[in-house]
Amino acid sequence: MSPERLATAWALFQALLIEAMPFLLIGVTISTLARWLSPGGKWVRRLPSHPVLGPLTGAALGFALPACECGNVPVARQLLATGAPLATALGFLFAAPVLNPIVVASTWAAFPNQPWLLVARPVGAVLIALVLATLLARLPETELLQPALLEERRLVLPLSRVSLLERRSGVIGADPLAAQALAAAPRRTPRPPLAEILGHGSREFIELASLLVFGCVIAALVQTLVPRPWLLAVGGAPTLSILALMLLSLVVSVCSSVDAFLALGFAAQVTPGALLAFLLLGPVIDIKLVGLFGVLLRPRAILITGVSAVLVVLVIGQWVNLWRL
Amino acid sequence: MGEPVAAVTLPRRLRGGRWLRPLGLGLWGAVLLQSGISGRLDLLLRAVFHPLVWISGVVLVVVAVLELVAGGGAAPTPRQRRVLLVGVVVAIAVLLVPPRPSFADLAANRGRELLDEPGLNFVVPPGQRSLTEWVRLLRSQPDPKLHAGDPVRISGFVLHVPGDRPQLARLLVRCCLVDATPVGLPVLWLPGRPLPQADQWLELRGVMDTERFDGQTRSVIRAQSVRVIPRPARPLEP
Repeated sequence: MSPERLATAWALFQALLIEAMPFLLIGVTISTLARWLSPGGKWVRRLPSHPVLGPLTGAALGFALPACECGNVPVARQLLATGAPLATALGFLFAAPVLNPIVVASTWAAFPNQPWLLVARPVGAVLIALVLATLLARLPETELLQPALLEERRLVLPLSRVSLLERRSGVIGADPLAAQALAAAPRRTPRPPLAEILGHGSREFIELASLLVFGCVIAALVQTLVPRPWLLAVGGAPTLSILALMLLSLVVSVCSSVDAFLALGFAAQVTPGALLAFLLLGPVIDIKLVGLFGVLLRPRAILITGVSAVLVVLVIGQWVNLWRL
Repeated sequence: MGEPVAAVTLPRRLRGGRWLRPLGLGLWGAVLLQSGISGRLDLLLRAVFHPLVWISGVVLVVVAVLELVAGGGAAPTPRQRRVLLVGVVVAIAVLLVPPRPSFADLAANRGRELLDEPGLNFVVPPGQRSLTEWVRLLRSQPDPKLHAGDPVRISGFVLHVPGDRPQLARLLVRCCLVDATPVGLPVLWLPGRPLPQADQWLELRGVMDTERFDGQTRSVIRAQSVRVIPRPARPLEP
């Protein structure tokens, strides 16, 4: 690599990083606040469980608790643990990382001249959430949710839905002392002190910033090292470009509040369907999320989520290419 | 034998690698603030985003100080420590090594689609139009003869275009350097002088002319004087 090219790659890396970092900070601040507010209480159990209305409500909750996908997972866990209907919680888990003001603002900042993307991204995210919530809801909760989460959830669900035997812990449990403690525990966990919240937020920011660095390195190198004819050859092919950008989003694992800036680097060379695919798939599943989902879902459910999300995004991307090319 | 050096002992809340987190936060805050102070932002980002970077820098530094004073919590695991160290090293590198992009190199790897910017200003006299305004005007009024003879005074960097004469160009951005799109105008350079080097920043005076290129008539600048200038503080145009 020539020194000029190396210097250009370094400048692109810095531009991406410095542009994205404020949006990452906003995203982490809001997800930390959402964690502090810790949604719980009876209203959560009154959310709709309808297969269509549930995911739509969950998706809309993104505007109230606007966190990126990383901050979203603990909030979704909290929703499930406090008895929210599966449909709503899954809709929130999969769509809220896109349907929130921070992500809409960063997408607009990166693509002010592509208003179709501002509509297609949230609509696509809702579609994916509907499909995933419908598929996952077909699994029994025992095969869907992590055992620890399931036990917490059964403690708050009404006895009309969960029998005493199913609760395992609580009134009837293996360890009588733990059962007494659980039964005596208040239903709502108290709000953690501000110092703890600050520590959590800064930990999250630092971890995500390192992922952002990794994503920016890849984006800057692809922009400067891969010859433009190659990029155009791959990026111009309708299906191949979608698959390539989906693979990239899985690897880069960058937060939904800043992924639009990384997409910006490829926007001129790839089909519109591929661009949308990059922006849709990352917030639902990527390498980093597979680890995070471990606190919520069982491996089989994670596999179903990954495969279904890839297929749905591929179809959406193809459809957009038919429409826009 | 010298006196034994007293070992530096960190407060308990910073032991076990806990100091790495406030250091990382503070360094990232410093990166953002230093980008603004040193003028890097003008080279990397569109001006509309600059306040956001400044505010984020201040917030990160404040959080780092709060973490130092009141932090604590669990010590980072070995994996987290490695991640933190990588972040610290990268932040120091960004602080120490300023960006020096080659605009010509960047432009050579980009498409030439002009941004759909409606901001055409026909009131500006020809001699005061910037390079970008000229390009927009010529694309909106494709008859090159309309502007033949108009005085031109523009600045930009030299962009070598394969199969064509070197152009004087600018980079347009919507967001940051990553989406920079080059726009340029072909130039009939001063006769008898060597062609300028790629990436060189020039101020050019001349007149608008026409020439036949690739079977079509197009506008071209006939240079009358060329002066080498340093790269402007704000080289990107919206």
